[in-house]
Amino acid sequence: MAQLLVKGAEKWFRREDGRPLKILDRLSFEAREGCVTVVVGPSGCGKSTLLNVIVGLEPLDRGELVFLNNARELPRRPLIGYVFQSPRLLPWKTVGENIALALKGAGVDQREREGRVHRYLELVGLKEFVNQYPLYLSGGQRQRAGLARALAIESDLVLMDEPFASVDELTARQLRQTTRHLCEQLHRTVLFVTHNLAEAAYMSDFVVALTERPACMAEYLANPLPSPRQWSPEIYGFAAELESKVTLKEEGDL
Amino acid sequence: MTSPSDTRAATATAQEEVAHPQGFPAGSLPIGREITGRILPPLVALATVFVLWWALYLVFPRLLPGPLSTLHEAVRLLSEGTFLFHMYQSLRRVFVGSIVAMFFSVAVGIYMGTVVMGERFFQPLVVLGLTIPGLMWSLIAVMLFGINEIAPYFAVAVTIFPMLVINIWAGVKALDKELIDMSHVFHFSPWMKISQVIVPQLVPNIFAATRYGLGLAWKVVVVVEMFGTSNGVGYQVMKAYQIFNMEAVIAWTLTFVAAMILIEYGVINLVERRLTAWRPKVEVWRR
Repeated sequence: MAQLLVKGAEKWFRREDGRPLKILDRLSFEAREGCVTVVVGPSGCGKSTLLNVIVGLEPLDRGELVFLNNARELPRRPLIGYVFQSPRLLPWKTVGENIALALKGAGVDQREREGRVHRYLELVGLKEFVNQYPLYLSGGQRQRAGLARALAIESDLVLMDEPFASVDELTARQLRQTTRHLCEQLHRTVLFVTHNLAEAAYMSDFVVALTERPACMAEYLANPLPSPRQWSPEIYGFAAELESKVTLKEEGDL
Repeated sequence: MTSPSDTRAATATAQEEVAHPQGFPAGSLPIGREITGRILPPLVALATVFVLWWALYLVFPRLLPGPLSTLHEAVRLLSEGTFLFHMYQSLRRVFVGSIVAMFFSVAVGIYMGTVVMGERFFQPLVVLGLTIPGLMWSLIAVMLFGINEIAPYFAVAVTIFPMLVINIWAGVKALDKELIDMSHVFHFSPWMKISQVIVPQLVPNIFAATRYGLGLAWKVVVVVEMFGTSNGVGYQVMKAYQIFNMEAVIAWTLTFVAAMILIEYGVINLVERRLTAWRPKVEVWRR
Protein backbone atom coordinates (compact mmCIF):
# COMPACT_ATOMS: atom_id res chain seq x y z
CA MET A 1 0.00 0.00 0.00
CA ALA A 2 1.36 3.40 -0.93
CA GLN A 3 0.64 7.06 -1.17
CA LEU A 4 0.58 8.66 -4.62
CA LEU A 5 1.77 12.19 -5.25
CA VAL A 6 0.92 13.70 -8.62
CA LYS A 7 3.19 16.70 -9.15
CA GLY A 8 2.64 19.17 -11.96
CA ALA A 9 1.39 16.52 -14.38
CA GLU A 10 1.02 17.69 -17.97
CA LYS A 11 -0.20 15.66 -20.91
CA TRP A 12 -0.75 16.55 -24.54
CA PHE A 13 -2.27 14.63 -27.39
CA ARG A 14 -1.85 15.42 -31.06
CA ARG A 15 -4.99 16.24 -33.01
CA GLU A 16 -5.59 14.76 -36.48
CA ASP A 17 -4.46 18.03 -38.06
CA GLY A 18 -1.22 17.85 -36.05
CA ARG A 19 -1.98 20.63 -33.56
CA PRO A 20 -1.29 19.78 -29.91
CA LEU A 21 -4.20 19.32 -27.52
CA LYS A 22 -3.50 19.84 -23.85
CA ILE A 23 -5.31 17.35 -21.62
CA LEU A 24 -3.71 17.76 -18.19
CA ASP A 25 -2.37 21.13 -17.07
CA ARG A 26 0.03 21.24 -14.11
CA LEU A 27 -2.17 18.89 -12.14
CA SER A 28 -1.04 18.23 -8.60
CA PHE A 29 -2.76 16.30 -5.83
CA GLU A 30 -2.22 13.35 -3.52
CA ALA A 31 -4.00 10.05 -3.04
CA ARG A 32 -3.53 9.33 0.64
CA GLU A 33 -2.50 5.94 1.90
CA GLY A 34 -5.46 3.77 2.89
CA CYS A 35 -8.01 6.31 1.66
CA VAL A 36 -10.36 6.55 -1.31
CA THR A 37 -9.61 9.65 -3.34
CA VAL A 38 -12.29 10.39 -5.89
CA VAL A 39 -11.50 12.44 -8.98
CA VAL A 40 -14.54 14.23 -10.38
CA GLY A 41 -14.78 16.48 -13.36
CA PRO A 42 -16.77 17.19 -16.49
CA SER A 43 -17.02 14.53 -19.19
CA GLY A 44 -13.97 14.57 -21.47
CA CYS A 45 -11.81 16.62 -19.08
CA GLY A 46 -9.08 13.97 -18.95
CA LYS A 47 -9.98 11.82 -15.95
CA SER A 48 -9.38 8.51 -17.74
CA THR A 49 -6.20 9.89 -19.31
CA LEU A 50 -4.97 10.66 -15.81
CA LEU A 51 -5.48 7.01 -14.82
CA ASN A 52 -3.80 5.80 -18.01
CA VAL A 53 -0.81 7.99 -17.21
CA ILE A 54 -0.61 6.69 -13.64
CA VAL A 55 -0.80 3.05 -14.72
CA GLY A 56 1.74 3.54 -17.49
CA LEU A 57 -0.46 3.12 -20.56
CA GLU A 58 0.35 6.70 -21.58
CA PRO A 59 3.61 8.58 -20.92
CA LEU A 60 3.57 11.79 -18.91
CA ASP A 61 4.85 14.79 -20.88
CA ARG A 62 5.84 16.86 -17.86
CA GLY A 63 5.67 16.53 -14.10
CA GLU A 64 6.14 13.42 -12.02
CA LEU A 65 4.36 10.66 -10.15
CA VAL A 66 5.80 9.71 -6.79
CA PHE A 67 4.82 6.59 -4.90
CA LEU A 68 5.61 6.75 -1.20
CA ASN A 69 5.55 4.03 1.39
CA ASN A 70 5.99 5.25 4.97
CA ALA A 71 7.21 8.60 3.56
CA ARG A 72 9.91 6.82 1.51
CA GLU A 73 9.84 6.51 -2.25
CA LEU A 74 9.08 3.00 -3.51
CA PRO A 75 12.32 1.40 -4.69
CA ARG A 76 10.52 -0.64 -7.39
CA ARG A 77 7.90 -0.27 -10.11
CA PRO A 78 4.61 0.20 -8.23
CA LEU A 79 2.04 -2.58 -8.43
CA ILE A 80 -1.29 -1.14 -9.50
CA GLY A 81 -4.70 -2.81 -9.57
CA TYR A 82 -7.24 -1.48 -12.04
CA VAL A 83 -11.02 -1.79 -12.16
CA PHE A 84 -11.99 -0.78 -15.67
CA GLN A 85 -15.26 0.69 -16.87
CA SER A 86 -15.93 -2.59 -18.67
CA PRO A 87 -14.58 -5.54 -16.68
CA ARG A 88 -12.00 -6.64 -19.32
CA LEU A 89 -11.97 -10.26 -18.21
CA LEU A 90 -10.53 -12.82 -20.61
CA PRO A 91 -13.69 -14.59 -21.82
CA TRP A 92 -11.85 -17.88 -22.51
CA LYS A 93 -10.68 -18.08 -18.90
CA THR A 94 -12.89 -18.80 -15.91
CA VAL A 95 -13.35 -16.14 -13.27
CA GLY A 96 -10.83 -17.92 -11.04
CA GLU A 97 -8.30 -18.25 -13.86
CA ASN A 98 -8.65 -14.54 -14.68
CA ILE A 99 -7.73 -13.60 -11.13
CA ALA A 100 -4.96 -16.21 -10.99
CA LEU A 101 -3.39 -14.75 -14.15
CA ALA A 102 -3.31 -11.28 -12.60
CA LEU A 103 -1.72 -12.81 -9.52
CA LYS A 104 0.87 -14.55 -11.70
CA GLY A 105 1.61 -11.21 -13.42
CA ALA A 106 2.05 -9.65 -9.99
CA GLY A 107 4.60 -12.33 -9.12
CA VAL A 108 2.48 -14.10 -6.51
CA ASP A 109 3.72 -17.59 -5.69
CA GLN A 110 1.73 -20.39 -7.35
CA ARG A 111 0.90 -22.00 -3.98
CA GLU A 112 -0.61 -18.77 -2.73
CA ARG A 113 -2.67 -17.99 -5.82
CA GLU A 114 -5.50 -20.44 -5.24
CA GLY A 115 -6.04 -19.25 -1.69
CA ARG A 116 -6.14 -15.62 -2.75
CA VAL A 117 -8.53 -16.33 -5.61
CA HIS A 118 -11.01 -17.96 -3.25
CA ARG A 119 -10.54 -15.35 -0.51
CA TYR A 120 -11.23 -12.36 -2.77
CA LEU A 121 -14.05 -14.02 -4.67
CA GLU A 122 -15.67 -14.68 -1.31
CA LEU A 123 -15.20 -11.02 -0.34
CA VAL A 124 -17.04 -9.83 -3.44
CA GLY A 125 -19.71 -12.54 -3.16
CA LEU A 126 -18.67 -14.67 -6.13
CA LYS A 127 -17.26 -17.70 -4.36
CA GLU A 128 -19.59 -20.08 -6.20
CA PHE A 129 -18.61 -18.68 -9.58
CA VAL A 130 -14.90 -19.46 -9.49
CA ASN A 131 -15.19 -21.98 -12.35
CA GLN A 132 -17.68 -19.98 -14.40
CA TYR A 133 -16.81 -18.27 -17.68
CA PRO A 134 -17.38 -14.48 -17.70
CA LEU A 135 -19.86 -14.55 -20.59
CA TYR A 136 -22.21 -16.63 -18.43
CA LEU A 137 -22.28 -13.97 -15.69
CA SER A 138 -24.42 -10.84 -15.42
CA GLY A 139 -22.86 -7.40 -15.88
CA GLY A 140 -22.78 -6.82 -12.13
CA GLN A 141 -21.13 -10.16 -11.45
CA ARG A 142 -18.46 -9.48 -14.07
CA GLN A 143 -17.73 -6.14 -12.45
CA ARG A 144 -17.44 -7.89 -9.07
CA ALA A 145 -14.95 -10.31 -10.65
CA GLY A 146 -12.98 -7.32 -11.99
CA LEU A 147 -13.01 -5.81 -8.50
CA ALA A 148 -11.80 -9.09 -6.98
CA ARG A 149 -8.96 -9.22 -9.53
CA ALA A 150 -7.84 -5.65 -8.75
CA LEU A 151 -7.93 -6.23 -4.98
CA ALA A 152 -6.43 -9.73 -5.03
CA ILE A 153 -3.02 -8.61 -6.24
CA GLU A 154 -2.80 -6.53 -3.05
CA SER A 155 -1.30 -3.65 -4.95
CA ASP A 156 0.23 -0.37 -3.86
CA LEU A 157 -2.63 1.50 -5.48
CA VAL A 158 -6.04 0.57 -6.92
CA LEU A 159 -7.41 2.63 -9.79
CA MET A 160 -11.12 2.57 -10.60
CA ASP A 161 -12.32 4.19 -13.81
CA GLU A 162 -16.09 4.75 -13.59
CA PRO A 163 -16.45 1.07 -12.70
CA PHE A 164 -20.22 1.16 -12.25
CA ALA A 165 -21.10 3.26 -15.28
CA SER A 166 -22.00 0.28 -17.44
CA VAL A 167 -24.47 -1.41 -15.05
CA ASP A 168 -28.02 -0.48 -14.10
CA GLU A 169 -28.57 1.85 -11.15
CA LEU A 170 -29.76 -0.80 -8.69
CA THR A 171 -26.76 -3.03 -9.41
CA ALA A 172 -24.48 0.01 -9.32
CA ARG A 173 -25.76 0.89 -5.86
CA GLN A 174 -25.04 -2.64 -4.59
CA LEU A 175 -21.59 -2.55 -6.16
CA ARG A 176 -20.81 0.83 -4.60
CA GLN A 177 -21.74 -0.51 -1.19
CA THR A 178 -19.58 -3.62 -1.64
CA THR A 179 -16.63 -1.60 -2.96
CA ARG A 180 -16.76 1.09 -0.29
CA HIS A 181 -17.16 -1.57 2.38
CA LEU A 182 -14.09 -3.48 1.09
CA CYS A 183 -12.01 -0.29 0.81
CA GLU A 184 -12.78 0.53 4.44
CA GLN A 185 -12.00 -3.01 5.57
CA LEU A 186 -8.84 -3.59 3.56
CA HIS A 187 -7.47 -0.02 3.93
CA ARG A 188 -6.47 0.18 0.29
CA THR A 189 -5.22 3.34 -1.40
CA VAL A 190 -7.80 3.90 -4.11
CA LEU A 191 -8.04 6.50 -6.83
CA PHE A 192 -11.61 6.46 -8.10
CA VAL A 193 -12.73 8.38 -11.17
CA THR A 194 -16.35 9.30 -11.78
CA HIS A 195 -18.52 12.06 -13.15
CA ASN A 196 -21.41 11.00 -10.90
CA LEU A 197 -21.32 13.38 -7.94
CA ALA A 198 -23.57 11.31 -5.67
CA GLU A 199 -21.25 8.36 -6.28
CA ALA A 200 -18.28 10.61 -5.49
CA ALA A 201 -19.91 11.75 -2.26
CA TYR A 202 -20.61 8.17 -1.20
CA MET A 203 -17.29 6.60 -2.18
CA SER A 204 -14.78 9.27 -1.21
CA ASP A 205 -12.59 10.11 1.73
CA PHE A 206 -11.15 12.94 -0.32
CA VAL A 207 -12.35 14.54 -3.54
CA VAL A 208 -10.26 16.09 -6.27
CA ALA A 209 -12.46 18.31 -8.44
CA LEU A 210 -11.05 18.99 -11.89
CA THR A 211 -11.75 21.85 -14.26
CA GLU A 212 -12.78 21.40 -17.88
CA ARG A 213 -10.05 20.39 -20.34
CA PRO A 214 -7.17 21.00 -19.93
CA ALA A 215 -7.77 19.59 -16.48
CA CYS A 216 -6.19 21.20 -13.48
CA MET A 217 -7.31 20.99 -9.89
CA ALA A 218 -10.31 23.17 -9.03
CA GLU A 219 -10.76 21.94 -5.48
CA TYR A 220 -9.42 19.38 -3.03
CA LEU A 221 -12.01 18.47 -0.40
CA ALA A 222 -12.16 16.15 2.57
CA ASN A 223 -15.41 14.23 2.81
CA PRO A 224 -17.05 15.16 6.14
CA LEU A 225 -19.33 12.10 6.18
CA PRO A 226 -18.54 9.36 8.70
CA SER A 227 -17.24 5.89 7.95
CA PRO A 228 -18.50 3.18 7.68
CA ARG A 229 -20.50 4.93 5.03
CA GLN A 230 -24.28 4.56 4.75
CA TRP A 231 -26.64 5.86 2.09
CA SER A 232 -28.26 8.90 3.69
CA PRO A 233 -29.60 12.33 2.72
CA GLU A 234 -26.23 13.79 3.75
CA ILE A 235 -24.70 12.04 0.73
CA TYR A 236 -26.84 14.18 -1.53
CA GLY A 237 -26.01 17.28 0.53
CA PHE A 238 -22.28 16.70 -0.03
CA ALA A 239 -22.96 15.92 -3.70
CA ALA A 240 -24.68 19.31 -4.03
CA GLU A 241 -21.65 20.95 -2.47
CA LEU A 242 -19.45 19.17 -5.02
CA GLU A 243 -21.70 20.34 -7.82
CA SER A 244 -20.98 23.92 -6.90
CA LYS A 245 -17.26 23.19 -7.34
CA VAL A 246 -17.48 21.32 -10.62
CA THR A 247 -18.76 22.65 -13.90
CA LEU A 248 -20.55 19.79 -15.63
CA LYS A 249 -20.98 19.86 -19.37
CA GLU A 250 -23.99 17.60 -19.42
CA GLU A 251 -27.14 17.70 -17.38
CA GLY A 252 -28.30 14.72 -15.41
CA ASP A 253 -24.88 13.66 -14.20
CA LEU A 254 -26.03 13.80 -10.60
CA MET B 1 -11.32 -9.14 7.13
CA THR B 2 -14.99 -9.53 6.45
CA SER B 3 -17.44 -10.84 8.97
CA PRO B 4 -19.49 -13.91 7.99
CA SER B 5 -22.62 -11.77 7.80
CA ASP B 6 -20.97 -9.41 5.31
CA THR B 7 -19.88 -12.33 3.18
CA ARG B 8 -23.37 -13.84 3.28
CA ALA B 9 -24.87 -10.50 2.27
CA ALA B 10 -22.45 -10.13 -0.63
CA THR B 11 -23.11 -13.69 -1.74
CA ALA B 12 -26.86 -13.16 -1.63
CA THR B 13 -26.48 -9.98 -3.64
CA ALA B 14 -24.41 -11.71 -6.26
CA GLN B 15 -26.89 -14.53 -6.53
CA GLU B 16 -29.68 -12.04 -7.14
CA GLU B 17 -27.67 -10.79 -10.13
CA VAL B 18 -27.53 -14.21 -11.76
CA ALA B 19 -28.45 -13.80 -15.38
CA HIS B 20 -27.78 -17.35 -16.45
CA PRO B 21 -28.06 -20.61 -14.59
CA GLN B 22 -24.78 -21.99 -13.36
CA GLY B 23 -23.11 -24.48 -15.70
CA PHE B 24 -23.25 -24.51 -19.44
CA PRO B 25 -26.36 -25.03 -21.47
CA ALA B 26 -26.67 -28.65 -22.40
CA GLY B 27 -24.64 -29.31 -25.53
CA SER B 28 -26.73 -32.24 -26.68
CA LEU B 29 -30.17 -31.99 -28.26
CA PRO B 30 -33.03 -34.48 -27.98
CA ILE B 31 -32.51 -37.40 -30.40
CA GLY B 32 -35.21 -36.24 -32.85
CA ARG B 33 -33.79 -32.73 -33.10
CA GLU B 34 -30.27 -34.16 -33.19
CA ILE B 35 -31.17 -36.15 -36.32
CA THR B 36 -33.05 -33.37 -38.10
CA GLY B 37 -30.72 -30.59 -36.94
CA ARG B 38 -27.24 -32.07 -37.28
CA ILE B 39 -27.19 -35.37 -39.11
CA LEU B 40 -29.84 -34.94 -41.79
CA PRO B 41 -28.56 -31.80 -43.60
CA PRO B 42 -25.11 -33.18 -44.53
CA LEU B 43 -26.68 -36.52 -45.48
CA VAL B 44 -29.16 -34.76 -47.77
CA ALA B 45 -26.29 -32.78 -49.34
CA LEU B 46 -24.32 -35.99 -50.04
CA ALA B 47 -27.42 -37.76 -51.36
CA THR B 48 -28.06 -34.86 -53.76
CA VAL B 49 -24.56 -35.22 -55.22
CA PHE B 50 -25.05 -38.97 -55.51
CA VAL B 51 -28.40 -38.56 -57.30
CA LEU B 52 -26.97 -35.97 -59.72
CA TRP B 53 -24.02 -38.27 -60.45
CA TRP B 54 -26.37 -41.16 -61.12
CA ALA B 55 -28.50 -39.03 -63.43
CA LEU B 56 -25.40 -37.96 -65.38
CA TYR B 57 -24.26 -41.56 -65.59
CA LEU B 58 -27.66 -42.55 -67.03
CA VAL B 59 -27.40 -39.80 -69.65
CA PHE B 60 -23.68 -40.32 -70.47
CA PRO B 61 -22.92 -43.98 -69.59
CA ARG B 62 -19.75 -44.11 -71.74
CA LEU B 63 -18.30 -40.88 -70.37
CA LEU B 64 -18.80 -41.40 -66.68
CA PRO B 65 -18.52 -44.49 -64.47
CA GLY B 66 -21.60 -45.31 -62.41
CA PRO B 67 -21.73 -44.59 -58.67
CA LEU B 68 -22.21 -48.27 -57.81
CA SER B 69 -19.28 -49.55 -59.87
CA THR B 70 -17.11 -46.76 -58.43
CA LEU B 71 -18.24 -47.70 -54.96
CA HIS B 72 -17.36 -51.29 -55.76
CA GLU B 73 -13.90 -50.17 -56.87
CA ALA B 74 -13.49 -48.15 -53.67
CA VAL B 75 -14.38 -51.22 -51.60
CA ARG B 76 -11.83 -53.25 -53.57
CA LEU B 77 -9.17 -50.60 -52.87
CA LEU B 78 -10.02 -50.59 -49.19
CA SER B 79 -9.70 -54.36 -49.01
CA GLU B 80 -6.22 -54.19 -50.59
CA GLY B 81 -3.35 -54.17 -48.12
CA THR B 82 -1.58 -51.24 -49.81
CA PHE B 83 -4.49 -48.78 -49.46
CA LEU B 84 -3.69 -47.74 -45.90
CA PHE B 85 -0.01 -47.40 -46.75
CA HIS B 86 -0.64 -44.97 -49.63
CA MET B 87 -3.28 -43.06 -47.69
CA TYR B 88 -0.93 -42.74 -44.73
CA GLN B 89 1.85 -41.42 -46.99
CA SER B 90 -0.38 -38.71 -48.44
CA LEU B 91 -1.91 -37.67 -45.12
CA ARG B 92 1.54 -37.49 -43.52
CA ARG B 93 2.72 -35.15 -46.26
CA VAL B 94 -0.38 -32.99 -45.87
CA PHE B 95 0.02 -32.70 -42.11
CA VAL B 96 3.77 -32.16 -41.92
CA GLY B 97 3.62 -29.48 -44.63
CA SER B 98 0.61 -27.82 -42.96
CA ILE B 99 2.14 -27.83 -39.50
CA VAL B 100 5.37 -26.29 -40.80
CA ALA B 101 3.33 -23.62 -42.61
CA MET B 102 1.12 -23.02 -39.55
CA PHE B 103 4.12 -22.58 -37.25
CA PHE B 104 5.70 -19.93 -39.46
CA SER B 105 2.42 -18.24 -40.39
CA VAL B 106 1.37 -17.73 -36.75
CA ALA B 107 4.76 -16.16 -35.99
CA VAL B 108 4.79 -13.99 -39.13
CA GLY B 109 1.07 -13.08 -38.81
CA ILE B 110 1.52 -11.90 -35.21
CA TYR B 111 4.69 -10.03 -36.20
CA MET B 112 2.92 -8.32 -39.12
CA GLY B 113 -0.06 -7.37 -36.99
CA THR B 114 1.96 -5.95 -34.11
CA VAL B 115 5.06 -4.37 -35.70
CA VAL B 116 4.64 -1.77 -38.43
CA MET B 117 8.01 -2.56 -40.00
CA GLY B 118 7.08 -6.24 -40.03
CA GLU B 119 3.87 -5.44 -41.90
CA ARG B 120 5.75 -3.31 -44.43
CA PHE B 121 8.36 -6.00 -44.97
CA PHE B 122 6.12 -9.04 -45.30
CA GLN B 123 3.04 -7.59 -47.00
CA PRO B 124 4.50 -7.53 -50.56
CA LEU B 125 5.98 -11.00 -50.05
CA VAL B 126 2.63 -12.41 -48.90
CA VAL B 127 0.79 -10.83 -51.83
CA LEU B 128 3.44 -12.22 -54.16
CA GLY B 129 3.05 -15.66 -52.60
CA LEU B 130 -0.72 -15.56 -53.08
CA THR B 131 -0.33 -15.10 -56.82
CA ILE B 132 1.87 -18.18 -57.32
CA PRO B 133 -0.23 -21.29 -58.06
CA GLY B 134 0.31 -24.48 -56.06
CA LEU B 135 1.12 -26.34 -59.28
CA MET B 136 4.11 -24.05 -59.85
CA TRP B 137 5.39 -24.68 -56.33
CA SER B 138 4.94 -28.43 -56.89
CA LEU B 139 7.10 -28.29 -60.03
CA ILE B 140 9.70 -26.07 -58.41
CA ALA B 141 9.82 -28.32 -55.32
CA VAL B 142 10.44 -31.50 -57.35
CA MET B 143 13.07 -29.72 -59.49
CA LEU B 144 14.78 -28.30 -56.40
CA PHE B 145 14.70 -31.31 -54.10
CA GLY B 146 14.23 -34.24 -56.48
CA ILE B 147 12.10 -37.29 -55.75
CA ASN B 148 12.14 -37.35 -51.98
CA GLU B 149 10.03 -36.34 -48.98
CA ILE B 150 11.28 -32.75 -48.80
CA ALA B 151 9.55 -31.84 -52.07
CA PRO B 152 5.91 -32.37 -50.95
CA TYR B 153 6.57 -30.81 -47.53
CA PHE B 154 8.08 -27.75 -49.15
CA ALA B 155 5.37 -27.44 -51.81
CA VAL B 156 2.55 -27.69 -49.26
CA ALA B 157 4.18 -25.29 -46.80
CA VAL B 158 4.97 -22.52 -49.28
CA THR B 159 1.61 -22.84 -51.07
CA ILE B 160 -0.58 -22.48 -48.01
CA PHE B 161 1.71 -20.17 -46.03
CA PRO B 162 0.43 -16.88 -47.60
CA MET B 163 -3.25 -17.83 -47.04
CA LEU B 164 -2.57 -18.71 -43.42
CA VAL B 165 -0.58 -15.51 -42.84
CA ILE B 166 -3.38 -13.36 -44.31
CA ASN B 167 -5.89 -14.94 -41.90
CA ILE B 168 -3.68 -14.64 -38.83
CA TRP B 169 -2.65 -11.09 -39.74
CA ALA B 170 -6.30 -10.05 -40.13
CA GLY B 171 -7.05 -11.61 -36.74
CA VAL B 172 -4.18 -9.77 -35.06
CA LYS B 173 -5.33 -6.45 -36.52
CA ALA B 174 -8.77 -7.06 -34.99
CA LEU B 175 -7.39 -7.88 -31.52
CA ASP B 176 -9.23 -6.34 -28.59
CA LYS B 177 -7.01 -3.42 -27.51
CA GLU B 178 -8.73 -3.23 -24.15
CA LEU B 179 -7.60 -6.76 -23.27
CA ILE B 180 -4.06 -5.98 -24.39
CA ASP B 181 -4.07 -2.89 -22.14
CA MET B 182 -5.43 -5.03 -19.31
CA SER B 183 -2.56 -7.48 -19.73
CA HIS B 184 -0.11 -4.56 -19.60
CA VAL B 185 -1.72 -3.11 -16.47
CA PHE B 186 -1.53 -6.46 -14.67
CA HIS B 187 2.13 -6.94 -15.65
CA PHE B 188 1.63 -9.99 -17.89
CA SER B 189 4.96 -11.23 -19.25
CA PRO B 190 5.42 -11.20 -23.07
CA TRP B 191 4.80 -14.97 -23.12
CA MET B 192 1.60 -14.59 -21.05
CA LYS B 193 0.41 -11.87 -23.42
CA ILE B 194 0.96 -14.12 -26.44
CA SER B 195 -0.33 -17.38 -24.98
CA GLN B 196 -3.20 -16.10 -22.80
CA VAL B 197 -4.38 -12.94 -24.57
CA ILE B 198 -3.34 -12.89 -28.23
CA VAL B 199 -3.45 -16.51 -29.44
CA PRO B 200 -6.88 -17.30 -27.88
CA GLN B 201 -8.32 -14.34 -29.78
CA LEU B 202 -6.85 -15.80 -32.97
CA VAL B 203 -8.47 -19.22 -32.53
CA PRO B 204 -11.31 -18.54 -35.03
CA ASN B 205 -8.79 -17.26 -37.58
CA ILE B 206 -6.48 -20.21 -36.97
CA PHE B 207 -9.31 -22.70 -37.50
CA ALA B 208 -10.54 -20.92 -40.64
CA ALA B 209 -6.96 -20.94 -41.93
CA THR B 210 -6.49 -24.60 -41.00
CA ARG B 211 -9.59 -25.69 -42.89
CA TYR B 212 -8.66 -23.68 -45.95
CA GLY B 213 -5.02 -24.74 -45.69
CA LEU B 214 -5.79 -28.46 -45.42
CA GLY B 215 -8.12 -28.27 -48.41
CA LEU B 216 -5.40 -26.67 -50.46
CA ALA B 217 -2.60 -28.82 -49.05
CA TRP B 218 -4.06 -32.11 -50.16
CA LYS B 219 -4.48 -30.79 -53.72
CA VAL B 220 -0.80 -29.80 -53.78
CA VAL B 221 0.28 -33.13 -52.30
CA VAL B 222 -1.63 -35.08 -54.92
CA VAL B 223 0.04 -33.07 -57.69
CA VAL B 224 3.53 -33.57 -56.23
CA GLU B 225 2.87 -37.29 -55.77
CA MET B 226 1.81 -37.63 -59.40
CA PHE B 227 5.30 -36.91 -60.68
CA GLY B 228 7.58 -36.57 -57.67
CA THR B 229 7.07 -39.65 -55.49
CA SER B 230 6.64 -43.39 -55.83
CA ASN B 231 3.77 -43.78 -53.38
CA GLY B 232 0.74 -41.94 -52.06
CA VAL B 233 -2.77 -41.28 -53.36
CA GLY B 234 -1.56 -38.96 -56.13
CA TYR B 235 0.83 -41.64 -57.38
CA GLN B 236 -2.01 -44.22 -57.42
CA VAL B 237 -4.33 -41.80 -59.24
CA MET B 238 -1.62 -41.25 -61.86
CA LYS B 239 -1.20 -45.00 -62.30
CA ALA B 240 -4.96 -45.42 -62.76
CA TYR B 241 -4.99 -42.52 -65.22
CA GLN B 242 -2.24 -44.11 -67.32
CA ILE B 243 -4.38 -47.21 -67.86
CA PHE B 244 -7.49 -45.01 -68.25
CA ASN B 245 -9.24 -46.60 -65.25
CA MET B 246 -11.63 -43.79 -64.39
CA GLU B 247 -13.39 -45.81 -61.71
CA ALA B 248 -10.11 -46.18 -59.83
CA VAL B 249 -9.30 -42.46 -60.28
CA ILE B 250 -12.65 -41.47 -58.79
CA ALA B 251 -12.50 -44.17 -56.11
CA TRP B 252 -9.07 -42.97 -54.91
CA THR B 253 -10.32 -39.39 -54.92
CA LEU B 254 -13.45 -40.31 -52.98
CA THR B 255 -11.56 -42.25 -50.34
CA PHE B 256 -9.16 -39.36 -49.84
CA VAL B 257 -12.08 -36.92 -49.61
CA ALA B 258 -13.73 -39.24 -47.08
CA ALA B 259 -10.54 -39.24 -45.01
CA MET B 260 -10.40 -35.44 -45.07
CA ILE B 261 -14.08 -35.22 -44.03
CA LEU B 262 -13.37 -37.59 -41.16
CA ILE B 263 -10.51 -35.35 -40.06
CA GLU B 264 -12.75 -32.27 -40.34
CA TYR B 265 -15.59 -33.72 -38.30
CA GLY B 266 -13.63 -36.11 -36.11
CA VAL B 267 -10.70 -33.91 -35.18
CA ILE B 268 -10.93 -30.24 -36.17
CA ASN B 269 -14.57 -29.73 -35.16
CA LEU B 270 -14.04 -31.46 -31.82
CA VAL B 271 -10.90 -29.48 -31.00
CA GLU B 272 -12.58 -26.23 -32.03
CA ARG B 273 -15.64 -26.99 -29.92
CA ARG B 274 -13.41 -27.71 -26.95
CA LEU B 275 -11.37 -24.55 -27.39
CA THR B 276 -14.44 -22.33 -27.78
CA ALA B 277 -16.51 -23.88 -24.98
CA TRP B 278 -16.41 -20.53 -23.19
CA ARG B 279 -18.54 -18.92 -25.88
CA PRO B 280 -22.33 -19.11 -25.45
CA LYS B 281 -24.08 -20.57 -28.47
CA VAL B 282 -25.78 -17.96 -30.61
CA GLU B 283 -28.97 -18.82 -32.44
CA VAL B 284 -29.77 -15.96 -34.77
CA TRP B 285 -32.87 -17.57 -36.23
CA ARG B 286 -34.61 -19.26 -33.34
CA ARG B 287 -36.94 -22.07 -34.23
